[in-house]
Amino acid sequence: MDMFGVGVTLLFGILNGFGYAMLLFLLSSGLTVVFGMLGVLNIAHASFYMLGAYFAYSVVQSTGSFWWGLLAAPVAVGVLGVLTERTLLRRAHRLGHGHELLLTFGLAYIILELVKWIWGTGSHPVSAPAVLDGSIRLVGGAYPAYRLFVCVFGLGVLVGLALLLFKTRLGMIVRAAVSDIDMVNALGFNVRGLFVGVFGIGAFLAGLAGVIAAPLLSVYPGMGPDMLVDTFIVVVVGGLGSLKGALIASFLLGGLQSFGVVIVPRLAMIFSFLLMTVVLIWRPMGLFGERA
Amino acid sequence: MIPRRVFSPAAVGIVLVGVGLAPSVMSTSQVYSGTEVVILSLFAVSYNLLFGYLGLLSFGHSAYFGLGAYATALLLLHAPGVPLGPAIAGGTLAGAIGGVLIGNFCVRLSGPYFAMLTLAFGQLLFAVAWKWRAVTRGDDGFGGFLKHASLALPGTPESGSQHSLYYLVVALAVPVIAATWALMTKTPFGNVVVSIRQNEERAVFLGYDVFATKLITYTISAGLAGLAGSLSAIFHDFVSPSVIDLNLSTDVVLMTFIGGTTFFFGPVLGAVFFVYFGDFISALTDRWQVVMGLIFVFMVLYVPKGFIGLGRLIPSVRPRETRPETAP
Repeated sequence: MDMFGVGVTLLFGILNGFGYAMLLFLLSSGLTVVFGMLGVLNIAHASFYMLGAYFAYSVVQSTGSFWWGLLAAPVAVGVLGVLTERTLLRRAHRLGHGHELLLTFGLAYIILELVKWIWGTGSHPVSAPAVLDGSIRLVGGAYPAYRLFVCVFGLGVLVGLALLLFKTRLGMIVRAAVSDIDMVNALGFNVRGLFVGVFGIGAFLAGLAGVIAAPLLSVYPGMGPDMLVDTFIVVVVGGLGSLKGALIASFLLGGLQSFGVVIVPRLAMIFSFLLMTVVLIWRPMGLFGERA
Repeated sequence: MIPRRVFSPAAVGIVLVGVGLAPSVMSTSQVYSGTEVVILSLFAVSYNLLFGYLGLLSFGHSAYFGLGAYATALLLLHAPGVPLGPAIAGGTLAGAIGGVLIGNFCVRLSGPYFAMLTLAFGQLLFAVAWKWRAVTRGDDGFGGFLKHASLALPGTPESGSQHSLYYLVVALAVPVIAATWALMTKTPFGNVVVSIRQNEERAVFLGYDVFATKLITYTISAGLAGLAGSLSAIFHDFVSPSVIDLNLSTDVVLMTFIGGTTFFFGPVLGAVFFVYFGDFISALTDRWQVVMGLIFVFMVLYVPKGFIGLGRLIPSVRPRETRPETAP
């Protein structure tokens, strides 16, 4: 392969990694903020991702348009997230973190079994919208248009989220609550109400990730557990509660996955575990975490 | 301290005689579920050493069950003529070795970090079992390794029958469960484990080596899970990635919690419930797991101590709580 070919392969590798990093960040941002605020590790977070993908599949089946799925499915998942918080998680809160963890675990179990029940155990393809179905010529190579869309869309959401969190008053309160929820409560803010909102937005983002992942990875019952592990690795490496950590770890893992697959396909998965193990031994609280 | 009312020698004797004689009045399929219950009981008891005793919630315990199952199956397959004893010992050892290596990383953490690292290692081992086709035959699995082994046990009608398998499993699992019970409730070691869960800082200041105690407990737990996996491989004469997958790891969380983590034999109750109630509702609906999940969530919210917590409603059989608070 000449130098130019290597350059194109490298660029495509970077784009693939970037797209996957965007997916990971959509998932891990919600998970890590929820953890930062209340110390709840939401095992069912990846189930919201899976539900987003399945809802999108059903919407695409009935309307024939991917865009309706992209619009409706994350909203439905977000509403489900709010209901989950209001009806179940709130009750478990007084029982302590251990029980909250068990509750979200039970929820993930039920959602997985319901998904198998409703949609079957097989895998369903979701086709990308017609506009994005082909490839785009990029510096002499052909790159799937949908993957490029994932990169751009993900970047858009990332920028929007960053503006919301770092440039608005609401974002400031959320960040303050992540760092010390009792103090924010003492200052007179309605932290429980805030938490419902954050939980709902987290579920919405997870659902959104599910929808945009659907044409890439297809829709199958194992997609939740698969993504759960990678999301966990991201939040652990980045440090639970740290958005900056989640972002950087998403890129680390996206890059590792993307280039790992090119270099040693069979061991690609091992790299992420190695990354996590090394980080946890070196810094048990993660790269940017404050508490272990 | 286990109350004498529940564990009088007479009661233990009746249970043991019952377990021993049960196959003579049960149908083959009942003997089959009975064997399953005993294997899962051992697995759940091993899990509760982490969950109930150390207060550590693991989502990757099937790793050790699977290591035991694959080790025993591979030993029987590739070393024809190897007696069953060493093959089972090999499976147990494989689980324990995996436990030392992985536990070395995991027990340094607690709470959600521990849960996530165990999940990750569990998924890693699952991926190995799934992808290393040359050795494990991937998701096809492999079986038929028992024909190389001698299964004739004294006093059983025929070699390899459902009955002889039942007795083999019971003869190994019951003494091992009893020994673990003695270790955790009757020895200073067990007390140190409990003290670490109650107040780790205080245990450190009392001079106990908390890391070593946790690692030893983790290793014992993994070894027992390996034994359960090994027995399961022999029982089914087949292994596939389902012995090492996330489903099994989540099932053991469910049955242990439902049974009750605050009492040593709670998980046994959970395993019994899981198998028999599972059979019962699977006759009514395909998706019995949904019902099991709903029961689990209901119990997390309203019966946080599991069935053992319900026991307090009946004063005469109330198991006195050996440990004041629940798992993590």
